[in-house]
Amino acid sequence: MNKKNWQIPITIVLVFLGVLLSAQFQTQARVLSDLSMQKTEDLIAMVRNLSDKRMQLERELRETQTKLRDLRNSTSDEQNIKNNLLAELNRLKLINGAVEVKGPGLRITFYDNSPILYVDIVSMINELWAAGAEAIAVNNVRINVHSSFFYTETENDMFITLNHQPLSYPITITAIGDPNTLEKGLTLPGGIIDNLALFGAFPILERKEEIIVPAVETPPVFIEAEIAKKP
Amino acid sequence: MRKWILPITIVCIISGLLLSLQFKAQASLSPNPIGERNEALVSLINNLEQEIDQYQENLNNLRAELDKIENSTVSGQAEIEALQQEIQKARLQAGLLPLKGRGIKVVLDDNQAGLKAAPNDDPNRYIIHYENILNIITELKLGRTEAISINGQRLVTPSEIRCVGNVILVNTTRLAPPFEITAIGNPDILEEVLLYGEYDLLKSSGFPVSYTKHYSDNPVEIPAYSGTYQFKFTKINE
Repeated sequence: MNKKNWQIPITIVLVFLGVLLSAQFQTQARVLSDLSMQKTEDLIAMVRNLSDKRMQLERELRETQTKLRDLRNSTSDEQNIKNNLLAELNRLKLINGAVEVKGPGLRITFYDNSPILYVDIVSMINELWAAGAEAIAVNNVRINVHSSFFYTETENDMFITLNHQPLSYPITITAIGDPNTLEKGLTLPGGIIDNLALFGAFPILERKEEIIVPAVETPPVFIEAEIAKKP
Repeated sequence: MRKWILPITIVCIISGLLLSLQFKAQASLSPNPIGERNEALVSLINNLEQEIDQYQENLNNLRAELDKIENSTVSGQAEIEALQQEIQKARLQAGLLPLKGRGIKVVLDDNQAGLKAAPNDDPNRYIIHYENILNIITELKLGRTEAISINGQRLVTPSEIRCVGNVILVNTTRLAPPFEITAIGNPDILEEVLLYGEYDLLKSSGFPVSYTKHYSDNPVEIPAYSGTYQFKFTKINE
């Protein structure tokens, strides 16, 4: 009889323990990427980015509405239609990098003693887009969504490649955008410049009043992809 | 009488310990005394995201309508038809049209099992970071991808992949694991570039990762970019 008496409390303990442990694990797993778990300054940064995005969307919505209205009002006037279509085409050319562009921006130079890998160039470009860059070139080659970075080795050298062509030093990244914002995006504490410094790479950053970014060399081709019509 | 005192004592001690552990974890969930301010920020973020979703939907509808009008007005006029075709081609390049075709789907997830097995380890070692995604994208591009999306976010030229804290953002949109990377291209070539890089590293570190190849009988679909393109500083160099 006495032997059985302690079995009930032990069972209760074990059940309790199980429940608590699983709760504990769940908390652990959920914690990291949950929004409420982020630092205040990170949340503030997110609010700022989202507000910017909303503002841009608002502007583009307005512009598109105007465009639509103009087109509807001009259905009978061929010259008007042509002008509207030309304006649209020019905007798309700007988006696709089909034309040479200029503007203020930032120039980043890696000299040939920089111990960098192709992923560093990829990260740098990624950070520049995140900081609001509008057009980017590397060694005067325009970057678009299809640009590919890798490396190639010769007997006694290693090169970073862009679109399978070796990049020669100094490697220069030029970006059009607000020079201050671009620079801040790279130099914030713990950012990419800090990271590169850990590996002994110290690129030179120069804010420029005018940067010229060339057009893409070869427009992308679509062999596999076809337009998916919405049902 | 005495016999149950010992077990009950043990019960109380153990449950006390566990409870305090649990509370500690709970307390760290609301990380700081300004937790309330964070609450406000989180709800602000949620509201902004809802509004952005709404705007993007509106914008997509307007773009579709624009597309229709631009493609339907005055046919039979050679010059205008040529322009319309050129615009359609440019839209394709700009990522403004949904695409389908042969390709590959890669799924990356946090290593929950690994974290459970080693709860005292640094949890950061068990989650997918934006660098993992960026590296896989970079490698896939070597295999001549024609279009890429991550959790439905189409990658276009100015798309960024980054994190704020531990939240991954693409096109300023918050993504949650599992991360599904979809790419259009030759599935066999994409498989090859995938298998010798970041994907392999993640797999051998125990992350639950997988991929499927898709051929023409079962093509992948990639949505159009629903964000904006901004040119505040850029001018055409004439």
